[in-house]
Parts: sequence; structure tokens; C-alpha cells
Amino acid sequence: MSSTRDWFGAALVEIAREYDHVVVVNCDLAKATRTLPFKEEFPDRFFECGIAEANAIGVAAGLAQEGFRPFVASFGHFLTGKFLEIFQSVGLNDAGVVLVGTHAGLAIGRDGPTQMGLRDVALMRTLPNVRVFQPADGAEVWQMMEHLATDRHPSYLRLCRQPQPEVHADGYRFRFGVPHVVREGGDVVVFAMGGTVPVAVEAAGRLAVDGITPTVVNVSSLPVDRAAVARLAGAHRRAVVVEDHYRVGGLADEIGRIVLGLPDRPRFDVLAVPDYGQAGPPEELYRRYRLDAAGIAAFVREAAR
Amino acid sequence: MRGEGVVAGPAEHADPARIARLATRCRLVLLEMIHRAGSGHAGSSLSCADIISVLRFDRMDWSADRSGDVFVLSKGHAAPAWYAALIVGGDLPAEEVGTLRALDSRLQGHPDRTRLGLVDVSTGALGQGLSVAVGRAVARRLHGRDSTVYCLLGDGECQEGQVWEAFLYAGANRLSGLVAIIDHNDSQSDGTVGDTLPLRPLPDKLRAFGWDVAQVDGHDHGELRDALRRRDPGRPSVIIAHTRKGRLGPGRVLLDGSHSDLPSPAEYAAAVDYLETLLECGA
Repeated sequence: MSSTRDWFGAALVEIAREYDHVVVVNCDLAKATRTLPFKEEFPDRFFECGIAEANAIGVAAGLAQEGFRPFVASFGHFLTGKFLEIFQSVGLNDAGVVLVGTHAGLAIGRDGPTQMGLRDVALMRTLPNVRVFQPADGAEVWQMMEHLATDRHPSYLRLCRQPQPEVHADGYRFRFGVPHVVREGGDVVVFAMGGTVPVAVEAAGRLAVDGITPTVVNVSSLPVDRAAVARLAGAHRRAVVVEDHYRVGGLADEIGRIVLGLPDRPRFDVLAVPDYGQAGPPEELYRRYRLDAAGIAAFVREAAR
Repeated sequence: MRGEGVVAGPAEHADPARIARLATRCRLVLLEMIHRAGSGHAGSSLSCADIISVLRFDRMDWSADRSGDVFVLSKGHAAPAWYAALIVGGDLPAEEVGTLRALDSRLQGHPDRTRLGLVDVSTGALGQGLSVAVGRAVARRLHGRDSTVYCLLGDGECQEGQVWEAFLYAGANRLSGLVAIIDHNDSQSDGTVGDTLPLRPLPDKLRAFGWDVAQVDGHDHGELRDALRRRDPGRPSVIIAHTRKGRLGPGRVLLDGSHSDLPSPAEYAAAVDYLETLLECGA
């Protein structure tokens, strides 16, 4: 197993070999964000801005305006913390920057809430032209990177630190905005993105003994296709969103708005982080916040009742 | 539209008297825009009207398809000065003078490139423009393009930390394709820059950050042109342009240099009379 940031680092070098306009803007985190192999192979296309994210975002916007496809990488929390710079220099310039936010969610563990990307999706979703991507496994990372290299939209790529198993079947094709069913079921549908997708799949497996067979949907890019979500939600009695993010502004809001518009809407429940987070071993944090497989299974069991 | 009859043309570039007339015409146009809109930063726009005129009508490799030099108005609240230069330069139709800050207008209160392609970089929240200018200069160097990226900042704006991140980066990377101009009028929203949070010694700080520093009278077109012509091939350049907020012409200042006050109809009429007299006198 590998993490989405590891797959990102490998895919970045591959797409950079193919596409000359791919460049990297770094904020002293090349090792942690896995852009170091890119730096070693393409030193002339690697711009070190130091611990100065605001300037890095502006520099990336300027590079994008001149035809490059810059990937500016840092912890998601630090990058999206420069919201006003992203709003203006990237968003209002419609500059084709890829903001790469790593260490999404609670998984950074003992470093605690000042490093945890728990509000990043919420911030990015307030910008109408910025697209959000969060891959659930290696196959999806590689396809997303090909998509991002050839696309021009301002984008936010949310990556995880924890190792994740492959959740997609062979032949999976990533398409922007299209939710993908990774496990077919009935009665309850669970929407997840990124690192919570494999955990939700594992939770669904545990529920079989209770006679509950949830459908698990990977929503790996936003804004999501409304009709597709409506069809999936409408085909179930219960809809649940599970996300490793603050409970306001993330996937729950996205799915909730669609569910709210359904004529015979299913019951809707959200399992997400309700506070600032805290320091601790990742596995204990996920247990505490009920975002491990046991917690998700218990939550879905309650929701399905 | 007021002050018609002085429109820029390519043959006029080398003539300082013509630049002075074009700058006066820009002042007339920007004041008319703000007067008709009923809002806008007149003092800040007047402060940099000469700098913008020298850039647009003389020093910049300007083309309306924006393939030449780049101009970043980091002090975005001076947008009327830039719009006025575009109108005087014939890039924008004169009819748009009355559309500043209006609903659906291309002439937003602060420059928005998603609405007006003649704006190279959207600005408004202070402190960001220089970073984008740096990115564009880096990109052009990587492409091997011989061109210049100009960035106009306010002095109060230099209190923003991001500006110093950009100064640091450009100096360390010897980004010679970048020219910053600081409109140093010593005035910001709540008072003087010196009283609010002083920048001094500004030239020393900029030199320490690896920049070639020049200081000029920001209303003297000859000094501005000379400073913009003189470039260090191994370092980014910054011109500290000493200016007066609200300056209309020699010895004449609107609203005592206020940052954001609007001229009354009488003050506006008096300013127009003064500027039209300047034009009639050939200045």
C-alpha cells in the first residue's frame, strides 16, 4: 500500500516528462509533499519560494498566466490558509494553478490541529472556478494527474498521508465531476472522498453480518454531477456522508444540497470532524472521531435503523 | 468626455511635453470617471497618473493584445488611473468613461482581468501584485523572452508582509526582468505612512533585499523615464517615486491629498478648469 501523496510524487515526474509546461512551486516541503523527485529531474522547472506560501501562490499564478501549469505544493492547511491570495491571485485571475494540499484530515496525528487540513475543502469550494480533486487510490491519482496536466482550470488537489488500498476495479476511468460506485449495495448509500473511501468500503464489509449492504460512492472531484448524485441518493432510503474534514463546508454540504432538492428525499446523516481536531496517534484520532471502519460501521448501522 | 483632442500616437513617444499633456488628459478622464461614478479613489489615482502615463505612453512595449510587457497595478484602488490611460491611449472607447463601478461594467472598482482583458492581473486586496509579477518575470526568463514586467505598488501597501516575501524572492533570484515602482506619497487611509507604520529607511531595506534602487520625483516625466531606462542586468529594479496624493499639477493638490474623499461638484469643476487651462497652455 502507498499513500496518495506518494503516488502523486511518482505521477508528477511522469507527466512532467510528457508535458514541458508542468512546473513546481515549493514552500520548503519538497520531501513531505513528494515533489523532491521532480526537483532532482527538472531543477530548472522547480521554484523554491521558502516558507512563504502567500508569495508562492502569487508566483504560481504568474507562471500560469504565462502558459505554465504550476503545481504549488504544501500542507493543505497552510496552503488554503492563504485564502485571500488564492481568492484574488488565482481565482479572480482565473489562473490555471494546481494547489496541492497534502496531509488532509486527521492523519497527520501528533502534530495536531495547526497542521491538519480539516477546512481546506470548505475554503476552496467558495471559489466558483476552482475545482477540487481528492483521489481515493493510486489508479485514480495517475488519471487525475493526466487530467490536471492537460486541463487549464484553477484546481485544488487534496492528498493524504496514510497508506491506502486500491478501491477501484481494473479499467476504472476517472471523469471530472462523476461520482463512482465502488461498492454496490442497497438501502443505505455512503458518500465519501479520498482517504475515507477505503475505510467506508471496509465498514460496509463489516455490516454484512447485520444484513446491511451499503452502497459506497467515491466522490473524487467537485463540483459533482448533481443528476448522478440525485439518482444515487434517490435510489436509497438513507444517505450518509462520511468525511475526514470539518462537518461544515465539505462534502456533506455538497451532497446535502442535492439531497434537499429530491422530491422523496432519503434521511440524511453526516459523520465528520465536529471541532478543531487535536494531537494524538492517527489510529486513536480516527477511533475517537468514529472515522475508522468500526466507527463508520456503527454510524451507518444507526442511520440504517 | 472632457479634454478631448489629445490622443496618444506612436510618434509621440519621445516627446516629454506630449507625455505631460497625456498625463493631464488622464487626470481629466479619471476625475470624470470618479465624479460620474460618485465613488473611487481620486487622490491615489492622481498620485500615480504620471507614473502610469510614462509607462503606458513611453516606456512599456505596449500592445492591446497584451503580448508585450506586463503591467501589474498592485495598488488596485488606483484603477481609474489605469482605465484613464487605456481610454486616452485609444484601447478603450471613450463611452466607457461613465461606466466606472457600474453594474456589469468592465471597469470594476478594482482591476478584474476576468472582465477586462486589458488588465494583466486582478488586484485590489493589497500586497499580492508583486508576487504575481515575480511569477510572470520568472516564466519569461524560463521562456527566454526579453521583456519587462512592471509592478506599481503603493507605499502603504509595503506594510503587507507578502510584499517583502516577493522582494526577498526576486532579489535572491536576481530577477532582472522585473521593475517595481513604489508610489511613495506618504499617505494611507488613516494618515501618513510615517505615522502609521514607517517604512524608513526604505532604500536601504530594498538594497539589502538585493534590488537596484533609484529615487525620483514621481511627477517628473523626465526623471521617471531616465530611471525606467537605467537597468541593472543582474538585479531587479525598484524606483521609489516620491509623489503627492491628489496632485493635479504644479502646486495644485485636490482635497489636500485625501486618500478616499470625493471632490464636491465645486471642487471637481475647479479641478477640471485647472487641468483644461494646463492643456490650453500646452502643459
